[in-house]
Amino acid sequence: MSSKTETLIDIRGLKKTFPVKASVFSSKSIPLKAVDGVNVQIKKGETLGLVGESGCGKTTVGRCVLRLYEPDRGRVWLDPDPAVVAEVEQFDLEYEQLQSQLDDVIASGRVRGAGQKTRELRNQIRKNRNIARRKAMQQDILSMGRDQMHKMRRNVQMVFQDPWASLNPQMVVSDIIGEGPHTYGTHKGARLNKWVMELLDKVGLPRNAANRYPHEFSGGQRQRIGIARALALTPKLIVCDEPVSALDVSVQAQIVNLLISLQDDFELAYLFIAHDLSVVQYISDRVAVMYLGKIVELGTGEQLYNNPRHPYTISLLGSIPVADPEIKTQERILEGDVPSPVNPPKGCTFHPRCPNRIESCSQIIPLLEKSRDGHVIACHNPPNG
Amino acid sequence: MDNVLEVKDLATYFFMHDYIIRAVDGVDFTLGRGETLGIVGESGCGKSITSMSMMRLVPDPPGRIISGEISLKGRDILKISDDEMRKVRGNEISMIFQEPMTSLNPVFTIGFQISEVLRLHRDIGKQDAITEAARLLRMVGMSDPEERVNEYPFQLSGGLRQRAMIAIAMACEPTVMIADEPTTALDVTIQAQILRLMRQLKETKDTSIAFITHDLAVIASFTDRVMVMYAGVAVETSTVHEIFKNPLHPYTQGLLGSVPVLGDRKVNADGSRKLLNAIPGSLPDARRFPRGCRFAPRCPKAMKKCWEAEPATVEVAPGHQVRCFLHHDEVRVISKRDLGAAGKRVLKNQQKNSGKKKSSADGSKTDTPTARN
Repeated sequence: MSSKTETLIDIRGLKKTFPVKASVFSSKSIPLKAVDGVNVQIKKGETLGLVGESGCGKTTVGRCVLRLYEPDRGRVWLDPDPAVVAEVEQFDLEYEQLQSQLDDVIASGRVRGAGQKTRELRNQIRKNRNIARRKAMQQDILSMGRDQMHKMRRNVQMVFQDPWASLNPQMVVSDIIGEGPHTYGTHKGARLNKWVMELLDKVGLPRNAANRYPHEFSGGQRQRIGIARALALTPKLIVCDEPVSALDVSVQAQIVNLLISLQDDFELAYLFIAHDLSVVQYISDRVAVMYLGKIVELGTGEQLYNNPRHPYTISLLGSIPVADPEIKTQERILEGDVPSPVNPPKGCTFHPRCPNRIESCSQIIPLLEKSRDGHVIACHNPPNG
Repeated sequence: MDNVLEVKDLATYFFMHDYIIRAVDGVDFTLGRGETLGIVGESGCGKSITSMSMMRLVPDPPGRIISGEISLKGRDILKISDDEMRKVRGNEISMIFQEPMTSLNPVFTIGFQISEVLRLHRDIGKQDAITEAARLLRMVGMSDPEERVNEYPFQLSGGLRQRAMIAIAMACEPTVMIADEPTTALDVTIQAQILRLMRQLKETKDTSIAFITHDLAVIASFTDRVMVMYAGVAVETSTVHEIFKNPLHPYTQGLLGSVPVLGDRKVNADGSRKLLNAIPGSLPDARRFPRGCRFAPRCPKAMKKCWEAEPATVEVAPGHQVRCFLHHDEVRVISKRDLGAAGKRVLKNQQKNSGKKKSSADGSKTDTPTARN
């Protein structure tokens, strides 16, 4: 596991809002901040777990990485060259400044020379954006054009949550698995056939499955087909969006085992998205906890479990029942519900439910900072030091 | 502890066009006063149909309770008339369903839906019932209940809806409450709130709860006794401590090994990644169970005997019943079941169809992966 040092994916400042209707009868729409500034890295061959309750934006992050959703802001670097990243960062910084200047000019209203100034600034911004895009194009998934996207998709694949909805019912299994290699021309004719058989062996399906349709399989087996499809192009990263939550407990364990053993065979990195903290902790090297579109804590699985720092992580761990009747979990139950992401609380989004809040929590948004023991948390007043 | 509910040899079958689904096939259990029994199993094992049978809510046709005895405080509720059953349901035995959105009526207010139960079972006026509903909502921990009674289900979040469901179920202070996966659709922090609420209510009202779930961790933290179901039968019943410390049935052992424990070591001593002890294979088809033990095809310890005969449920230690030849030698004697007219119809269709396509029916014996829900 020496390859775990190089960065494979570097997500920076990712933001995504969805327009939602203000009310049933109005035509106005208001923005729902699904992902609000996420920064996280995935190293080669590493599993990064992403946990959080429903509506926290974990699925949106996964989908933005593949551009299944088009993010509003941010960059997703694939195999980044640090020099290029730094250069583009400079341009992005300049862009922010120009944009704020422009906002100021517009806000100052109709004064002499305002029109001229606006035009100039707009021109500068356009130029800045064009250069940044050209520089980032080869490595930033979000600024890639059609051709680069096509090349990129070989390296990043996805396994979906619902094995009943994510396989085309009109295609036989060998076509489902072989579609990728066929499109990219990596395997042809008899070799494609051999490759599909090899993949079926790898994911533990019988070879005669190749000529059957998805409806003939159980949920666990369908999820195996979905995994074989994702593996077919030998990607570097697989985004697993709740891959086991639709499955029964005994089958869930089979799929988790399969994902772990495939990781060593194919040198894969996973972005493992799930709401079940015990599964995520089990499979992941590092775990990021999300709350209302932001990462609140990031650390290795052991760190997070043995020494959680953010009050949200602490209460999340406290509310998970333990499969041992001898252990009674310490009652640290959160009150209330997750606030609506349309109108999130000011300051730290967690402060209305937080047992540890101080004055500044409702004013200032806490930033992700490294604490002494290597944890990364976003909190003004973390409990016990 | 006196038993308020006794279920003996309950069997609920579904009669489809040309096959019979044996969803529940001979389940026995008891529920003491103030006790919580966890019923655990995977999807399709018959745990929900067991609870539906206890409420007599199995859709007929195609389903039918074909044998058994469910005595609630000494009275067999399978023998009473539908009118009498209406007086029992919601009054002496009530139910919390899994999906709070689909089980509440979207066009009536929460207050109306709670008062409906009260007015049916108690001599109480409309206005008083609404006041009582507000009191119940306060009891389940809702803020400003006087306002909430006028709200519709869509105005509430998932956790609050489940609280409203609990208020309906608790309205008449039933002796037995059946909770069918009450927290499965909820987030963990909300699940913790609901479980705490149910624990408080149970202690103050002395209600007996049959708690149905697939989540072993919830079972461990909430129940007193556990019944593990597999393919329509109970394979092991014991106290919660026994089940987790000393599981006897290979299925129970496999189920416990399948769940990752938070904070477990992920690496073996030699540096390789540790894998979960998963159970191989998938659930058997409810249309044709294996001839012997139903778990034999997936069992790591299956013997020759397991394929030939079905084991009986035997109490191997005080309060610990298990259905497995590893622990005893008793063979199950299945009482003859009268399938009635519906059964005859199915058998006739079956014969007709098997005559039509005889050759295609043979392939099902081997491990062909065709288990469908």
